[in-house]
Amino acid sequence: MFQNPEIPPSELPGADDIQWQALDPAYKRLRRLQNSIGILAAAVPLVTVTVAAKLPVLPVVALSACWVVFSVLLLIWPGISLPKRGYVLRDKDILFRKGVIWRSVTAIPFNRIQHVETSSTPFDRKFDLATLQLFTAGGSGGDLKIDGLSTATAEQLRVFILEKAGASIENS
Amino acid sequence: MRKPGPVLKTPDTGIWTRTSPLAILFFFGRIIRLVTKNAWQSLAPLLAFLVAYQGELVSKLILGGSAMAIALVTGSVLSWLFFRYQIRDDSILIRSGVIKKKQLDIKFDRIQGVNTQQNPVYRALGLVTVSFDTAGSAGNEGNLPAVTQTFASALREKIASRTKKQMDDEPLAMEQEALLRLDWRDMIRIGLADRRALIIFAFIGPLMEQAGDQVEQAIETALKSANLDTIQVDVGTGALIVAALIFAALLLLVTVSVAAAFLRYHNFKLFLDGRTLRSHGGLITRHEHSMDIEKIQTIRLQQGIVQIWLGRFRMTLRQAISGRKQRSQKMFTIPVVTAELADTLRPLLLASEAGRLTQNPRTDLFQAISPYYMRSRILFAGLVPAVIVTALLVAEAGIVGLIALIWLPLVALISWRSWKRAGYLHDDNEIVRRSGLLGYRTVGLLFRKVQRVTISQSRYQRRKNLASLRVYMASGSVRVPYIAHETAKQLRDYILYKVESSQRAWH
Repeated sequence: MFQNPEIPPSELPGADDIQWQALDPAYKRLRRLQNSIGILAAAVPLVTVTVAAKLPVLPVVALSACWVVFSVLLLIWPGISLPKRGYVLRDKDILFRKGVIWRSVTAIPFNRIQHVETSSTPFDRKFDLATLQLFTAGGSGGDLKIDGLSTATAEQLRVFILEKAGASIENS
Repeated sequence: MRKPGPVLKTPDTGIWTRTSPLAILFFFGRIIRLVTKNAWQSLAPLLAFLVAYQGELVSKLILGGSAMAIALVTGSVLSWLFFRYQIRDDSILIRSGVIKKKQLDIKFDRIQGVNTQQNPVYRALGLVTVSFDTAGSAGNEGNLPAVTQTFASALREKIASRTKKQMDDEPLAMEQEALLRLDWRDMIRIGLADRRALIIFAFIGPLMEQAGDQVEQAIETALKSANLDTIQVDVGTGALIVAALIFAALLLLVTVSVAAAFLRYHNFKLFLDGRTLRSHGGLITRHEHSMDIEKIQTIRLQQGIVQIWLGRFRMTLRQAISGRKQRSQKMFTIPVVTAELADTLRPLLLASEAGRLTQNPRTDLFQAISPYYMRSRILFAGLVPAVIVTALLVAEAGIVGLIALIWLPLVALISWRSWKRAGYLHDDNEIVRRSGLLGYRTVGLLFRKVQRVTISQSRYQRRKNLASLRVYMASGSVRVPYIAHETAKQLRDYILYKVESSQRAWH
């Protein structure tokens, strides 16, 4: 049965007065670990070139200063950006927000989801994390990609969304 | 260890049919195209043979040419012999390939459009080549060359009756009033508005100038040799000659584009058969296109500079992008329409529920976007780079460096123009967005066909309480920039409500 009760504008469910679900805290640690590995990997050629080419002092100091600044930024960044990410499941759609300087909120209705994918890299598995990807028609790649969910949450979300998507297909 | 899997093979039931022997023509054309596409690989053996064979050039060429002709003809005959098809209740099977066998199974449900083409020979004999657009595959996959016209229309009807089982059974009126007919004046309009001609001219223009110089010299020598030294080719005459040459080239390009328009769109007619939009036209090869109007995702109305002058638009209807790897999109193009005609077509195309909005960019119904759109562009794309570059240049080259400041008014002008042209218009069911810099473009879409919605805000927008709304369709996305954050949220929530309460398919 299709029901269509009238909703006064003041009672329209806004997307703002909702509780954003945070990502798994382990994801912050994972990102810091990944960034640290990147920082160390960048240090190797830096040191090699410095030693091998016997560079004068000034460029070496400048390069090292850059390296230090970038390292600090890379280690701080997950702590700033990840709390800004979050998702919300509603009865008929899912919202995902992200961004520090450029913020965005994406909404996908369940009855437009074509398929759902969960994946995890070896790194993810060490931290018991997984990525959830939602696909709609006409999009390129993952239309909505939520990294850093705990494996259990990702699996629960996948099952829930698939069920919702399937139900909407049966009704139509 | 791999276990031998079950052999996948369609049971050999039903009758396999060959198409008319005239299909050899089609295969011949296809082989020629293949050969020219891979010119080096396919012609290398022939060249090797020509070089190796002892003898004079003419006999070599005759021998090589006839060898190639024999190969081509044999190839096309074999392709025809091995091409067989079978029409079933719900699909069409095509078997083809001489060396590499291929079986194609096209389900009627997945066919989005049936197109036909006719070359002069086929037309004389009442034959057509049918091609199918299928969902989830790149471009036209299946072709049925040289089948009779009656067979093609029967097939089309059969597919249409299969695919629109849920649709109301409107009678298929075959002979009916055309929605639009294009005449010779429209061909000239299409030719004039053809952007390719301008692009070619942009490349040829500088060459023409050089050619102009040479012609000038040639005339000079000719005059000298004719002992008419008294007549001097002065600067004015030279310029005149160059101008005349450029004008002639422009005229030639326009003629070529008009001819191309005649070739492609001559006698263009647009029909609506129940739920299927059909068009046909073309001078030598007749093209016929069809699109299920339920599948239309966006309606686009475009007007370039020349078209503004002509008062005409180009209308394109876009269908969902299919295939994630090879992205292909089915488009239906109506090459020239007036704004009034476009607005009368909209309700027909967007079903009964919508299409009341106008897509004419000239109406003042459009709501402007925030002027901060212009300001932020001038600030971040204009002022900041201009100041930095000027400072650097002045430090390097002195006062001449101030020339970089030209950047600022340029960006300001562009920003102002695009702000002026940006706008949006919506009602309960649809939204139309207008944009443009030199010309105009409006895109219209139905809320209930939306796939997802994103609201984004930069820092600058957050301070001004503005946001950009991006609406993703199966055919691509449409962005409404710099509107009030509150409006963006309301629109988003309303679109979500429309999508979530919609019981109808989006495609």
